[in-house]
Amino acid sequence: MYRQNERNGVNTLESANAAHGGWVVVKFGGTSVSTRPRWDTICRIARDWHAQGKRVLIVVSALSGITDKLKAIAESGGDAARRQALHAEILARHEAMFAELGLDDRATLQYWLDRLAALSTDARAETGALAWQAEVLALGEQLSSTLGAAYLSAQGLPARWLDARQHLLAQALPNQNAWGCYLSASVPTAPDPALAAALAAQGEVFISQGFMARNAAGETVILGRGGSDTSAAYFGALLKAEKVEIWTDVAGMFSANPRIVPAARLLSRLDYEEAQEIATTGAKVLHPRCLNPVREAGVPLLVRDTNRPELAGTEIGASAGAAAPSVKAVSERRGITLISMESVGMWQQVGFLADVFERFKRHGLSIDLISSAETNVTVSLDPSENLVNSDVLSALAVDLAEVCRVKVIAPCTAVTLVGRGMRSLLPRLAGVLAEFDLQRVHLVSQSSNNLNLTIVLDEAAADGLVPNLHAALIKAEALRAEDPAVFGPAWRELYAHAQAPQAQPWWRRRREELLQLARDGARYVYDLASVRERAAALRALKAPDRWFYALKANSHPAVLAVIAEAGLGLECVSLPELELAAGLVGPERLLFTPNFAPQAEYAAAFARGARVTLDNLHPLQHWGETFRGRAVMLRVDLGSGRGHHDKVRTGGAGSKFGLSLDQLDEFRRLARELDLAVVGLHAHLGSGILDSGHWREVYAQLAALAQGFNRVEAINIGGGLGVPSQPLDTPLDLAALDAQLAEIKAAYPQFELWLEPGRYLVADAGVLLARVTQLKRKGDYRYVGVDTGMNSLIRPALYDAWHEIVNLSRCDEAADTLYQVVGPICESGDVLGSNRRLPECADGDVLLIAQAGAYGAAMASHYNLRAPAAEVVI
Amino acid sequence: MSLPDPRQAAAFRFVRAAYADGEAQLVYAFDGGPELAERIVFPAAPEVLPERRAGLAAALKLLHLIAGISYYKAGVPRRIEIEESPLDAATARLLDALYLNGLGEFAYQNKLDLREHIHFPHAGSHVPAASLGLPARSLVPVGGGKDSLVTVELLRQAGEPATAAWVGNSPLIAACVATTGLSGLNIQRQLAPQLFEYNKAGAWNGHIPVTAINSAILVMAALLYGYDSIVFSNERSASSATLEYQGQAVNHQWSKGWEFEQSLAAWLRSHVAADLNYCSLLRPLSELAVTRLFARESRYDGVFSSCNRNFRILGPRPADRWCGQCPKCHFVFLALAPFLPKPRLLAIFGRNLLDDETQQAGFDALMEFNGHKPFECVGEGRESRAAMYALSQRAEWREDALVARFARLLLPQLDAAELALEPLLQVEGPHGLPPRLAGIVDALR
Repeated sequence: MYRQNERNGVNTLESANAAHGGWVVVKFGGTSVSTRPRWDTICRIARDWHAQGKRVLIVVSALSGITDKLKAIAESGGDAARRQALHAEILARHEAMFAELGLDDRATLQYWLDRLAALSTDARAETGALAWQAEVLALGEQLSSTLGAAYLSAQGLPARWLDARQHLLAQALPNQNAWGCYLSASVPTAPDPALAAALAAQGEVFISQGFMARNAAGETVILGRGGSDTSAAYFGALLKAEKVEIWTDVAGMFSANPRIVPAARLLSRLDYEEAQEIATTGAKVLHPRCLNPVREAGVPLLVRDTNRPELAGTEIGASAGAAAPSVKAVSERRGITLISMESVGMWQQVGFLADVFERFKRHGLSIDLISSAETNVTVSLDPSENLVNSDVLSALAVDLAEVCRVKVIAPCTAVTLVGRGMRSLLPRLAGVLAEFDLQRVHLVSQSSNNLNLTIVLDEAAADGLVPNLHAALIKAEALRAEDPAVFGPAWRELYAHAQAPQAQPWWRRRREELLQLARDGARYVYDLASVRERAAALRALKAPDRWFYALKANSHPAVLAVIAEAGLGLECVSLPELELAAGLVGPERLLFTPNFAPQAEYAAAFARGARVTLDNLHPLQHWGETFRGRAVMLRVDLGSGRGHHDKVRTGGAGSKFGLSLDQLDEFRRLARELDLAVVGLHAHLGSGILDSGHWREVYAQLAALAQGFNRVEAINIGGGLGVPSQPLDTPLDLAALDAQLAEIKAAYPQFELWLEPGRYLVADAGVLLARVTQLKRKGDYRYVGVDTGMNSLIRPALYDAWHEIVNLSRCDEAADTLYQVVGPICESGDVLGSNRRLPECADGDVLLIAQAGAYGAAMASHYNLRAPAAEVVI
Repeated sequence: MSLPDPRQAAAFRFVRAAYADGEAQLVYAFDGGPELAERIVFPAAPEVLPERRAGLAAALKLLHLIAGISYYKAGVPRRIEIEESPLDAATARLLDALYLNGLGEFAYQNKLDLREHIHFPHAGSHVPAASLGLPARSLVPVGGGKDSLVTVELLRQAGEPATAAWVGNSPLIAACVATTGLSGLNIQRQLAPQLFEYNKAGAWNGHIPVTAINSAILVMAALLYGYDSIVFSNERSASSATLEYQGQAVNHQWSKGWEFEQSLAAWLRSHVAADLNYCSLLRPLSELAVTRLFARESRYDGVFSSCNRNFRILGPRPADRWCGQCPKCHFVFLALAPFLPKPRLLAIFGRNLLDDETQQAGFDALMEFNGHKPFECVGEGRESRAAMYALSQRAEWREDALVARFARLLLPQLDAAELALEPLLQVEGPHGLPPRLAGIVDALR
């Protein structure tokens, strides 16, 4: 039904309204009504709709900050002086707004200001009577709408002031207490053609108040949180409007909270239920309660950005039917408490759940999620003031203990994936679920309406999870970000103006040269200028004292020479690496950080004068003499790995790297026995990390540990500086990294700070060129084969790494064919890229695989006896 | 520059100390080695009033002597030399006791016997100090943990004019001070850089009585800015020993104990200013009584930390402030648990340490099962046992892994009569508070 509206611009009630035009309800929040330019925007939006023949109802909130002040008056108790002071502030604010709007007739404004004065000194203030509180709270919108009506009329858009209380009649809910009846009221609404017609007879543009209604006794009541959005929805339903537009400061609902996921995509289109779910599980832009009225009335609701009216925003309407299922959003709610109840009674005990739930009701606690097994029921409680600051949980636990064994699990975070048809997405989610630390998941819930999948886990295990999940969902194509019917641009594209446009990669500028080079077969090509540029950028950071390039990433002599020339040291993990490095830099710039190396390599490294890192007790226990009187760095395992794939995470008990913290004392004891000086601490927790806060954390933890050692001079926080591969990944913010490191350095000035980047220096500098050999079609799949594969570049197979792939021979043609890009190796994992949009390829075309400068040639093999791509430096 | 191993030095020399324009300079040396100059900067320090000059000179001398412990311990030579005016016998006694006891843990960890090393020479006598007419207001050292915040709240409720003071650059302490709403005094301290060189050359290292150093710094501050009281937040359990070694009690927090408080307070009255109070508001309270008071006020939940591992940085997440692994984290978690709604406590720490089996050894140590109390500022073993017992009786706690284990394995070995919480919450024992502050603790009795 909704789709037809969209296409025809006609609505089922349209015929009834046609004579006088359909209704559009537009709602504006506090910041949108607090300055004159913002009122001009409201005027423009209303005028546009009016010019299109629509009747417009404007619903406004109070001026910014006023509702809080009114709330303070309402809760002032016996403090008359405080009421007086607040009254004066509110008065002054509206006088100023009146002046700013350049209005002259203040009679109606004065009416409400007099009401405020009267209510502030009302005898009911002493007891805080609820009816009085509601009247006080309603004043903010009554004042703002009065100012607005005058201003719009002065601008030549005559707007009739409508008293919302006249049309919105609240009805008490079952079990609703007096507080709820007055201050969190609900209004049942259904389309009322008579009202629509009556208003239509009075005018074409109206302005009314959000947040309030009347009750059956004719008293003022308040709608509670999200009240203005809800008012707009009520009016939209009553008038059976063509649409309700919620104008706010952001373009709509996003696929994740944009503050933590800048790559979150605007949701162009949602159905009511999905929107309700997203609003309930995290998104703040829309209060979930405003969706039901418009859904019941079949009125579409839009969220739009006042500052960017050219953006279409998010449109919420009836289910579109046959659209392909997709995760629409991922959200999180923190501070969740789980109550796990183990029945102690008999098997299939009758009434157990009733006993349990009755106790929650008794303590006024409302349950959100539920999961159950034969002998266990686990429920979740949302965070509330009550739970954190009163003994209610303790009292509940005592009562529950009468019927079961109760365990409180907190703090937890509930992570919810929302999207219609969630169950059909489960196969795609397998890899995504690996992002969760599954040992720390306590509850999984999937609703029978098939709209969501919620996973509740330890809050500490949820840090940084949502951005990773969002990226993984896109990568797994469970969140179909490329579907323009559902998803709009990324938040970052819309709002992050400050971000410099992505520079053109070097290989686009040198395309002709590269095409020449590829003629003689597959080639790795390195651009030394890029390496030099990266090295200089790192050296420009102020906090780090020394840099060591992890030469395992790319040990091509020309690349190493550039890095050595830039003044970096070289981090080596084997004796042959050390020997290569020793030819380029002096011993003071050699760092030897092997793992499970034989004794002879340590002895050889000492002989070369390199700084040696240990990460195990074994060498000291068994080869003590090799270490006696020496100075070493100690690599510890801080216990939690980070990074873009399991195989590149190098922390945690499951990782072979680093000394476990519980062996630290023993290490210290052995060191003392051997007169071994521990002159540095080192940890490296993973690779491909884009969040600059990570190193700050590692640094702080190592520096704190270092205080337990006498001789520590340096803290080596490893590498892992991420290089964005997906177009929408946020690049690592070097300036932010430097600032965070500087903060800790200020706290521990006695330690030098070392870093050991690898991939960061060389990844973007290298590309792999390969020629198309054969094309194949199988079912819906199109394959393009090239003359080298995992024998040259194993990262996609080993780490699921994503490398950008372009057809260098056809850069200017439209990338309109979906290909699986594969190599010639007899191995089903020999896939360089799946589901890549490329121009139609032909044999002999040169494909370029980007970001191949790190762990490309270095990890190449002769598998299938196929020689890997040769290396060329330009 | 490479320096000789300070452990080979024959003598530690207190070379000289000076104060000018808000900066104290404290100079030391090992034998004929380079001068080690520590700097302490008092921000916006006013001109020294003439009547306070003698007192300030005595305070500077004390600071010089006490702060020397950071350097002395690098070599612990057998001879101590005082190169400016000689000490009187009382001063030498104060320092002998401080160096010997304050370095008790250091000596234990390094397997040293310092009794033959620490002898401050004395020859002089002194004139008793006069009253200096110091203004009746308090300087409160704030460390970012719960104790000093409890003191701040008690003083605020009593209407006592107070300033929060701290030494060094800790964003966490700065954030706590900002939350108190009190005026703040941030004093900077810069160690002599050669100390790091001596460390490289093989210096001894370990725990030093930093509270004593901070106390001496605040005595200078009290005279410079005009405060008649320095109000610490050391509680009763700070006086109990961690263990005994070579016939000597070793207490990690000796300089937070009652013995040191009393002796320093007496010395200050006789040598610096007869009207200067050096005291601890929480002295008659147990750790548990302090945590119960802390629970009354939630405004510090998101800023404070007692963790010694993570305390220097400030982050938005609980894990930035609480490592969750160290004895301080264990103890504060356990001691707060009986008094805070569980969700509030778990929100402060970001996790439930008592439902984490890997933390078992840490909690056992606090309760003095299998081994001694950790070398940290933590409560007495019986306080930890009583707190754990209280939790084992609470429905919302008793299924948590370590609480359940306590009830199953440890509780049967204990005398239930000694596990009551209430007696441990009693306000009792001596304190050194001046009358106007004594009323605050008396009201808690």
